[in-house]
Amino acid sequence: MGIFGAIGIAGTGVTVYRKWLDAVSDNIANVNDAVPTSADVFRARYVQAQAVHYGDGDGGVVVAGTALGPAKGRLVYEPDNPIADRQGYVKYPDIDLGSQMTQLIMAQRAYQANLTVVDRAKDAYQAAIQVGKG
Amino acid sequence: MSIDAIAPIASVAPMSAALGSPDRGVQAGSGANFGSMLAQGLQKLQDAQNTADDLAVQAATGKLTDVHDYIIAATEANLATSLTVAVRNRALDAFNEIMRMQA
Repeated sequence: MGIFGAIGIAGTGVTVYRKWLDAVSDNIANVNDAVPTSADVFRARYVQAQAVHYGDGDGGVVVAGTALGPAKGRLVYEPDNPIADRQGYVKYPDIDLGSQMTQLIMAQRAYQANLTVVDRAKDAYQAAIQVGKG
Repeated sequence: MSIDAIAPIASVAPMSAALGSPDRGVQAGSGANFGSMLAQGLQKLQDAQNTADDLAVQAATGKLTDVHDYIIAATEANLATSLTVAVRNRALDAFNEIMRMQA
């Protein structure tokens, strides 16, 4: 971490929330992927954020990995669907659109919050450079 | 009553002994330290500028994955430049102040 530590740390936060936005956008894009009951259904992705300890490392946050949603999906009775099985069922991903929209708002606001930190840190460092000029 | 004879003036101690004492405020090496510090600072500034330049090329060629990466790198390079210029101006001010002393 260089001398402008706060900017770098907030930058890692921005990266994490960008990835979270990507994951949520992927989940929402695939929310209506119907598959035959015999096939594998789309599984929601959940970003796992992990802290980089400030004392030991540089500080900040990284994406430790992604966790997958339930593999079972949910069965929906759609006998008119050409891919429905003999009982008239198809499988949809087990994704709650309301929960995804909530996460979208959280990720977006956190993304903006981290960018605000970058901006404020820049202002603070600029004020430090100005010391004694008045 | 008797008047004591005037004692002879002791010889002046050599100046080199006083100047060479270790508790002197300014150490001989401090000039070189400032120089190397400045060189390090310039090196870091160069690195920051190079990072920002690379990301700018990536943005122009469409290879940039994170928009904020470039913005943050550019901000850091901008700040590092401001800091370097501020340090240079202060050093120059100090030098000019010293040069005015002989007038």
